[in-house]
Amino acid sequence: MFAWLKGPGKAFRKPLPGSSNYLSAYDRQGNLIRKGREERDDRGRFADLGEDEVLKETEDRDGLPKEGARDLKPYPLNAQFKSQPVLSEDLRRAINELVTENGIDLKAVSAAFGIDVRRVAAVVRLMEVEKAWEQEGKPLAKAYNDAVLAMLPTTPYRPSNPPAHEPINDLPVHPWTRQQIFLPTSESRVFTRADAAKTFHPSLLPADERIAHPELVQIAKWEHEGFDRETRQRLMREKDSESVARKEMKEYKRKQWERRTQVTVPGRRWDFKFQDISAEKVNKDGRGHEAVGIRYGMPHEDRKKGQFKIPTKVE
Amino acid sequence: MVLRLRLARVPGPGGAKRHRPIYNIVLAQARSARDSKPMEVLGMYDPVPKETPGAKEGDRKTKEIKVDVSRAKYWLGVGAQPSNTVWRLLAMIGLVEPRYLPTGQQTQNALKAVRFPVHQNAGTSGKTRGEKAAASKSMKGNTMVGKGEIGAGTTSPMNPNEA
Repeated sequence: MFAWLKGPGKAFRKPLPGSSNYLSAYDRQGNLIRKGREERDDRGRFADLGEDEVLKETEDRDGLPKEGARDLKPYPLNAQFKSQPVLSEDLRRAINELVTENGIDLKAVSAAFGIDVRRVAAVVRLMEVEKAWEQEGKPLAKAYNDAVLAMLPTTPYRPSNPPAHEPINDLPVHPWTRQQIFLPTSESRVFTRADAAKTFHPSLLPADERIAHPELVQIAKWEHEGFDRETRQRLMREKDSESVARKEMKEYKRKQWERRTQVTVPGRRWDFKFQDISAEKVNKDGRGHEAVGIRYGMPHEDRKKGQFKIPTKVE
Repeated sequence: MVLRLRLARVPGPGGAKRHRPIYNIVLAQARSARDSKPMEVLGMYDPVPKETPGAKEGDRKTKEIKVDVSRAKYWLGVGAQPSNTVWRLLAMIGLVEPRYLPTGQQTQNALKAVRFPVHQNAGTSGKTRGEKAAASKSMKGNTMVGKGEIGAGTTSPMNPNEA
């Protein structure tokens, strides 16, 4: 053990600057494998970057080449596990600034940096928490944060040519798709993902529509079709403005509906809020469970599959 | 037998609860039992005042009433009798004249000046009105506008994005 610690294991005492430092990046003698590969493929990877950007990034790593896919396997016996990059500190700050100070739409930021919109939202929320803690004088675990970030691969902040952060091909596994089904079909039938989803459950969406970041997928499709970067961004902006308009229309309709069907009558101690509803939603058999009021002779559906009592939003 | 618009205490969605009443506003035969199946469920009434979402400390609480105004109007028109409580609720939105009013010269003068919307022709519009009457007027006006917009005129919308 001590032989290893003094020999090949010495490389793991200190993290490599600006890079991950996993076991699989070294050979048995403790040599960094990618040093030998340096000359061959470094040029190809940075073909789309400016000269000074390449220089700066290489400088951050003390002249080492960037880690490739095979250097990002922390467990040598588990070749399938690849360490995914996390957002660098600069990128987090840039995202927060773009969203909170410049007021840029979350979706636009997500599309520009290739980050899932939920992650962008999480960054903004967590930065708010961080600011609040700083104001309260709560200590932040900065040393821990820095240590972890120094060990993990990170996505750098490059405003001119941002690298994509998320792999967009990951499909979320829905619990309903975990069962094994043998479905006989004719050979001539074209069996698509939509058919597969229908087989699992009639109301299950196809895998393509269950992807949590359809914007990133759309951008990748445009890229595949050969649109250049400006065109893609313009198309994305158009899509964004459309969705904003749709949201505003929905909100306007809701306001109109409230004005039409609601009235609040001030009482002596509290207000009485009246809501005009339709008593005909009970259907002809009088059992429609969407109707207002408690139904007679109808069992509750609250133990049925897919009924959630945990609130999903906070007002 | 007479038809009544009345409240029926019902078990809530989580089962029957002490101290947590919830009522259906129902149309039923007057002599039928409270818990028996009514002819029609017109809405619901939550008598426990609740804080509105996002309310601050000291804000007024609200009691929530959901009622199908057009069905209630229809049943009142064909002679259904509201119970005292339902009468009080329906009076707030101007479907019936309030049963009890504070007595005194002021009230008499106010009543002389203002009749409640149920007693007015559709064309005439009131001048100065009490708070209740104004509220009722707006509710009535609003629902009428709503019916016109929907077209069929039989159902009130429940989904804001439907109509």
